[in-house]
Amino acid sequence: MAAVTLDGVTKRFGSVTAVDAVSLSVADGEFLAVLGPSGCGKSTLLRLIAGFEKCDGGVIRLGENNVSGPDVHIVPEDRHVGMVFQSYALWPHMTVAENISYPLRVQKLRGRELEREVDSALETVGLMGLADRRPAELSGGQRQRVALARCLAMKARVVLLDEPLANLDMHLRARMLSEIATFRNVSGASLIYVTHDQSEALGAADRVAVMDGGRVHQTASPAVLYRTPSNGVVSRFIGGGAVVRGEVIATFANGHATVELFGGLWQVRSAPRQGTWPAEICIRPEDLRIVDDGSGFPATVARVLYQGGRTVMEAAPATASGTTLSLSLNSSEVPAPASKIRLAVIDGWVIPNP
Amino acid sequence: MKLATKLLVLTVVVSVALAARAVAAEPSGRLVLYTSQPDRDAQQTVDAFRKKNPGVEVEIFRSGTTEVMSKLMAEIAAGQPRADVLLIADALSMERLKAAGQLQRYPEADVGQFPADAYDPGKTYFGTKLITTGIIVNRSAPLKPKSWADLLRAEAKGQVVLPSPLYSGAAAIHMGALNAAPTLGPGYYDTLSRNAAVALRGNGAVLNAVASGQKMYGVIVEFMALNARGKGSPVDFVFPIEGVSVVTEPTAIMRQTRNPSAARAFVDFILSKEGQELAAAQGYLPGRKDVAPPAGFPEVGTLKILPVDIGELLKQDEPNKKRFAELFGG
Amino acid sequence: MQLIPVSRGESFAFATMLGIVVLLAVVPVARLAQEALAPGGSFDAAVLARLAETPTVWRATRNTLIVSLGGVALAVALGGAFTLLVTLTNLRGKKALVFCFMLPLMIAPQVTALAWINLFGPNSTLLAAFGLAPAPGTRHPLYGPEGIILLLGLEYAPVVFLAVRAGLRALPRDLVEAAQAAGAKPWRIVRTIVLPLMMPAFAAGGMLAFVGSIGNFGVPAFLGIPAGFTVLVTLIYQRLAGFGTSVLSEAAALSLLLALLALGGLALNSWLARRRDVRVTTWTTAAPEWSLGRWRRLVEGACWGALVLVLVLPFLALLATAFVPAIGVALTSRSVTLANFHFVLLDHAATRRAFFNSATLSAAAAMMLVAVSVPLGYSLVVRRAAVLRAVSFATELPYALPGVVLAIAMILCLLRPLPLLGFSLYSTIWIILVAYLSRFLLLALRPVTNALQQVHPSLDEAARMSGARFARRLATVILPLVAPSAVAGGMLVFLTAFNELTVSALLWSSGAETVGVVLFSLEQAGDSVSAAAVAVIAVVVTLTMMLVANALASRVARGVLPWQP
Repeated sequence: MAAVTLDGVTKRFGSVTAVDAVSLSVADGEFLAVLGPSGCGKSTLLRLIAGFEKCDGGVIRLGENNVSGPDVHIVPEDRHVGMVFQSYALWPHMTVAENISYPLRVQKLRGRELEREVDSALETVGLMGLADRRPAELSGGQRQRVALARCLAMKARVVLLDEPLANLDMHLRARMLSEIATFRNVSGASLIYVTHDQSEALGAADRVAVMDGGRVHQTASPAVLYRTPSNGVVSRFIGGGAVVRGEVIATFANGHATVELFGGLWQVRSAPRQGTWPAEICIRPEDLRIVDDGSGFPATVARVLYQGGRTVMEAAPATASGTTLSLSLNSSEVPAPASKIRLAVIDGWVIPNP
Repeated sequence: MKLATKLLVLTVVVSVALAARAVAAEPSGRLVLYTSQPDRDAQQTVDAFRKKNPGVEVEIFRSGTTEVMSKLMAEIAAGQPRADVLLIADALSMERLKAAGQLQRYPEADVGQFPADAYDPGKTYFGTKLITTGIIVNRSAPLKPKSWADLLRAEAKGQVVLPSPLYSGAAAIHMGALNAAPTLGPGYYDTLSRNAAVALRGNGAVLNAVASGQKMYGVIVEFMALNARGKGSPVDFVFPIEGVSVVTEPTAIMRQTRNPSAARAFVDFILSKEGQELAAAQGYLPGRKDVAPPAGFPEVGTLKILPVDIGELLKQDEPNKKRFAELFGG
Repeated sequence: MQLIPVSRGESFAFATMLGIVVLLAVVPVARLAQEALAPGGSFDAAVLARLAETPTVWRATRNTLIVSLGGVALAVALGGAFTLLVTLTNLRGKKALVFCFMLPLMIAPQVTALAWINLFGPNSTLLAAFGLAPAPGTRHPLYGPEGIILLLGLEYAPVVFLAVRAGLRALPRDLVEAAQAAGAKPWRIVRTIVLPLMMPAFAAGGMLAFVGSIGNFGVPAFLGIPAGFTVLVTLIYQRLAGFGTSVLSEAAALSLLLALLALGGLALNSWLARRRDVRVTTWTTAAPEWSLGRWRRLVEGACWGALVLVLVLPFLALLATAFVPAIGVALTSRSVTLANFHFVLLDHAATRRAFFNSATLSAAAAMMLVAVSVPLGYSLVVRRAAVLRAVSFATELPYALPGVVLAIAMILCLLRPLPLLGFSLYSTIWIILVAYLSRFLLLALRPVTNALQQVHPSLDEAARMSGARFARRLATVILPLVAPSAVAGGMLVFLTAFNELTVSALLWSSGAETVGVVLFSLEQAGDSVSAAAVAVIAVVVTLTMMLVANALASRVARGVLPWQP
């Protein structure tokens, strides 16, 4: 029994289709990230699950219950779903303890029992001693933890997170992300985490749904998404890969294939298929190497971006000077810009034709 | 006889008996009076009436004439006028009500002691007093006017205030009276406006302006000026030699009254000697010739009253107002 | 048109409140429109056509616009400047300053106008002392459009103040501090950060001032009539005084013209208050107080000087009138008397009743309207803009109409027994309450909707996700966030209703007189000194009630009253 199921869910605003026949399911205790650029529809998706928008098509189920569909719409108050907003939405006129205990007070919990729940939540997120502060006096990270504690206290089985790290500074993000992961481990709730930052999604989630233009293009574990993206959108969005055009010469049962690319033949990965065909091939930075023994294909260095121990080098192949290939190199071995080099393709992935 | 016929006869007999009883009985029930009299005077009048007619409960609505008329009109438009009897400032408004068919005739009203032009020949409304309009003068004024013409003099330039006929029926009657007066005529207001006289809304404003010293001379109803003088305001009142205009504060019975007997009793009281003596005690010139005027007034015989043809005035109302607006603005 | 999904209970509550608004605001105006357009039962535009051809009507309309726009500009300038000074600087004596600034709201407008006329006329002792008294026989300096604009501006400056104050207090501190860090001096910050953010609040205050000005009778009656300067409201009175057969439909038609002006004002308001999406998500501590440094004494002196001249002096003039035996008698140690107070308090039972009636009616209206405004405002803001705009416009009309016209509309609607209930409210005190609810709904609703538009929806959505239903959300999340605005609206309703005159002048009945009715009848009878005594008592009564509110509110909630820091 999945915690959350979306079945062909569609949402239109006027002539714009924000969410286009999306089907997803999130298992109990699973951490699913919805990853996509701004405007892809991921926030709308979240609001549909929360109940702040009605579906124009499809069905949403929480556990066994139909909460959104053609004949039914359960209002947010009745869905018992937790939500962490981008702005955390802490009520400024209430203390931390009052913010956390709000859902419990709604459920008519009082007195000692209430205090215990609040204390337990505070302890879990590491905010003991701050119970009587007001949100205005807290830092960004602390506010986020209060928002998490509120979901914890509520004992929500499903928690929606809307770009919760967007308002934090860089140093804090990694720590907060692990706190969120811990939160999931402790509470056992299913998390649906919406973000445009792939490092967050890939780093913490069990599975990632890549969304663009209202559609979910691929839902899989981060490794699968990285290694075998199902289309160009996913390839480009994840891992900084380049998508180049080449010709598949032959595929093999062991998942390998021979492709013609940049004037040479290379071994890459592919799903088995008969015949030869023109294809898009996903080349990641680690799939390329500089060779100095005359093999490989010619390319010109376009840019180098120093990043400390490693440097990213961008090069254009001689046969396709409009394409940009990225490599990650040890900083001591970086050729100068505009120099001519030879590159070899040591791995790649043939994007399956639809 | 058949049962139905018996019942019918019984009903008729009982109804007739009841009706007869209603006609013959003492006035009773509730009487609703709409008036623009000052509060205190209205209360005294009603109290005195109730002493004579204890079975009647009187409900008073008191406001400015414009407000009273607006309320009446709204009630008529809503289909259920509540007023039984009216007592308002000027006959012009009464004429309009009469023209709209809203008044009930009371031919039996005892008007023997009243001058003929104090009541409507058709006996729909009856003047109750003679409220005169004269000149109020601030005691520090350089000029002591004796006539309406004196207000046109150079010494009075910019120092005269008068109530605007655009907002007051009584002022419209005054304008009509002066227009018709032989020595004053229609040119009077033209000259007055050239003499920078200012039009205000109502007698109260005139009293305020003159008593406080803002202006030196005002056109005002006499009881207001005399009351203020009595209380200590530094003002005097003059009955101009050309004569005064008069508003009669008429009373009338509404056509749709629900208590005609009480309404008639009220009108009877107001027109009776006792009612008129009460008016005199309140400081008004009574309408009845056989009741003495209050102290400080000239005898009614010696008072020159400028006559006004109400019917004619009604016809001239729009052009008069237009002329006034052109002269004084508005 | 998409609707945010809400629970059935919430939908029902919204429908009920919308129904109340329709009954209170739309039905009377619709009945009036019917009187204007279809007096005999069938559509008849003859009255409208005749009026459209009358040059006086267009002149009056133009005059109305001139004085109203001028009055609004002055009210916004004064009210806005005062609010900024009180909220953003370290002026001393703020509480007293604010109390005094709100004085015009506590005195009936007709009384204020009269006090000004006496204070600045040729007989003025004050001006004589400075040698500035106008020569006797010259036109009074206040007569005419300039005087009307001045008094309207002064009358509505407190309204603008109340509207802006709550918004300014909620200004997020970090927005101001960011500008300071960028090197901006206070005046630039005010000009480029504070004022643009406060645009919606200013627009709301300005709207209230505009709508109040076009229907204001007292000021143009005293200052316009003597100068022959007619506005739409006084023109309506002229028509009513004329009592022809079509007078009601003429008055109704002219009122429709006023309604059109109000609609124009609303359009302007929407344009000015283009939604700036700065929503408050955190409750930062109040914006910093800027030090005025060595200017402080000067500014304080200027503030108090202006207040004394403009507000306190006329009140003192009123006071002087209340203690003399008759108008025109100078106030000396020999002439001073308590006779007027004795008369109105002890001899004149109607006055005591009137104070009681006005106090209870105003308090009841204020509480009921605030109770409706918070849930109604919330539902309107949560739903899409079109409904909000329609309701906003509907609530403006009963406030924009001259009081006498609204009273007529009430009579037309409520004379007959109510359907289904069988009894009539006419000739009871309840019809006055209904008229007040209709007329002043705007004053309570506008500040609340304005404040709600500043609240980030996520605060409400988080509460919904926590399981809280409509009533609980309103009580625990929404109300605390909009409390200052709700209270400001309630005060505005109370003070305006307490002193209103033109509506109850037509609707009162025995035992149901109001303070305004008593004032009106005393003035008309020429008894200005007693009227002055009544006005003074009214100020004392309202001041007392505000002090009581102050004592109560300090214990219940902080920062909720306009004069609290």
